[in-house]
Amino acid sequence: MQERMYASGDTQELERVRHFVESKAREFGFTEQGVYKITLAVDEACSNLIRHSYQHDSSKEFCVEVGFDEGILVIEILDSGAAFDPLNVPAPNLREYAEQHRRGGFGVHIIRMTMDDVEYFPSDPAHPFNRLKLTKKLN
Amino acid sequence: MNKFSLEQKSNDRAEVIYLNGFLDAHTAPQLETAISIVISQGKNRIIVNFNNLEYISSAGLGVFMVFIEEVRANSGDIKLAGMKPKVFTVFDLLGFPMLFDIVDTEEEAFAKFN
Repeated sequence: MQERMYASGDTQELERVRHFVESKAREFGFTEQGVYKITLAVDEACSNLIRHSYQHDSSKEFCVEVGFDEGILVIEILDSGAAFDPLNVPAPNLREYAEQHRRGGFGVHIIRMTMDDVEYFPSDPAHPFNRLKLTKKLN
Repeated sequence: MNKFSLEQKSNDRAEVIYLNGFLDAHTAPQLETAISIVISQGKNRIIVNFNNLEYISSAGLGVFMVFIEEVRANSGDIKLAGMKPKVFTVFDLLGFPMLFDIVDTEEEAFAKFN
C-alpha cells in the first residue's frame, strides 16, 4: 500500500507531516520508539528542504509518500528545488560546531542514524522531482 | 498550529526555562529569542526544564549549540534537566551528553551550580 500527502515550504507544515508519518508508522506496527525515530527522520528531511532548498517559500510544494510492503517501510520525499544530496554531508563535529556557534547541520546525521537506508535521486529529464528515499524494516 | 510554549522563572541562583510541547524548526526561534534575552540581561546560569517537552528535532538542539560557548565563557552554563527518554534519545544520537550537562531533575541542576 502507498499513501501520500502534500505540504508547502513553510515550517508550520512540519506538524502535519509528522502526524501523517506517525499515524502510518504506528498502523504498520512499529514500536513507539520506532515511530518516534521515523517521524524524526522525516521531520529533519523536510526541515532541511523547507529551509535550504525552498528557503521558506510557501508557494512551493513537496510530497511525502509512505509505503509498506513485506515488512519494509519506504518513505519518499519528492521536491522541486535545487538538487541537494544529503549523503555528501559529513558527520557533525560537536565541539567544533559549538565553538562556531552553529545551530544546524545535524539533520542528515539523525536521518542516517534512525533509518536503515537512505538514498537520494536528483531530478533528471525523465524524473522532474528530486527524491529522497528512506527505508526502515519492521523487525 | 505547532504547540509549543515556554515559561521562565528566575531567582538569584539561576534562570529556569520550562519547555512545553513540540520543539521543531518552526518553534525553535521562540526558544532562541528567550535565551538570547536572558543572556542579554547578563544572566549566564540557565537551567532548561524539559519535563513537559514531548518532542524535539535537531532545530531545537541547535539553539543550545548557539549559546553554550558564550555562557561558559562568562562562567555560566546551560544545564538540561528532566528529559523524557524519547527526547533524550535525540540528544544521545548526536553525542550531546559529551558536551552538555544533562541531569534528571531541576534540583540536581541547581545543585550543580552551587
